[in-house]
Amino acid sequence: MTFLSRAITAFGGLLLAHACYSAREHTALQSLRAASTATLTSSATVATSLPVDIVLETILSTFFVLFGLVLGARPLRPIEWRVWAGKIEREGEEGFTDNSGAVDKDYMGNPFSVLETRPNFVDIRKQRREFAEWVQKRGAEPTH
Amino acid sequence: MPTEQELQISPIVQESLMHNSRILHNLQSLTASLFGVSAGILGLESYSGFLFYLVFSLLTAALFYAVRVAPTSLAAGKAPLDTSRYFKSPFEFWAGGLMNELAGFILTWTLFYGLVRA
Repeated sequence: MTFLSRAITAFGGLLLAHACYSAREHTALQSLRAASTATLTSSATVATSLPVDIVLETILSTFFVLFGLVLGARPLRPIEWRVWAGKIEREGEEGFTDNSGAVDKDYMGNPFSVLETRPNFVDIRKQRREFAEWVQKRGAEPTH
Repeated sequence: MPTEQELQISPIVQESLMHNSRILHNLQSLTASLFGVSAGILGLESYSGFLFYLVFSLLTAALFYAVRVAPTSLAAGKAPLDTSRYFKSPFEFWAGGLMNELAGFILTWTLFYGLVRA
């Protein structure tokens, strides 16, 4: 995705630079022609607008760059707390990546992790029982 | 505009709000300069230049909506053209960049007009 958007943007930028150069050359040519005809026939200078191909190229290249930039914009995040927290719960880190797949730097994970891991919630008796069972099982197994 | 009570019932994540508006602002300032370059190359003058900017800014918002907002917003059951999943006010999304980025547009517009026509 990031490669595609960059390629489109670069292509559009190239076209835009070419259109700019063409327009510049066109004006230079016009002024040169006007100067030469003025010395020869002293007729009024004809103000010509830009050729249609340069106009088309400019507008098309603008569309290309615009499309590439929009494609390259980073994904948005839901602003409602319940939608946002639900997205974190469902997708985890995968829901908060940029276009190249790297996790955002300010991704902080579950907003309720402070509550879920607080020490008051640790069942110390259960853990002690589990530890005792584990020790017994090790003692029952033949040691090498 | 949501009332105090609605904000209490469904709170808003400030970080996400800032993240989204920063992305939108980045895009708008980049594209405003780009439109200035094109308007300068085309040699637009007075009202037609501003009209060009208006049309392309709205086009940017529409394209951004179609690419970034619509796929998830429509899937979540929002109405079409409703940006409330990612932005607080629809005005900020559709027209917020018009005034903020006008200066950048005029800067590159005059610069490229001068470069091409000089």
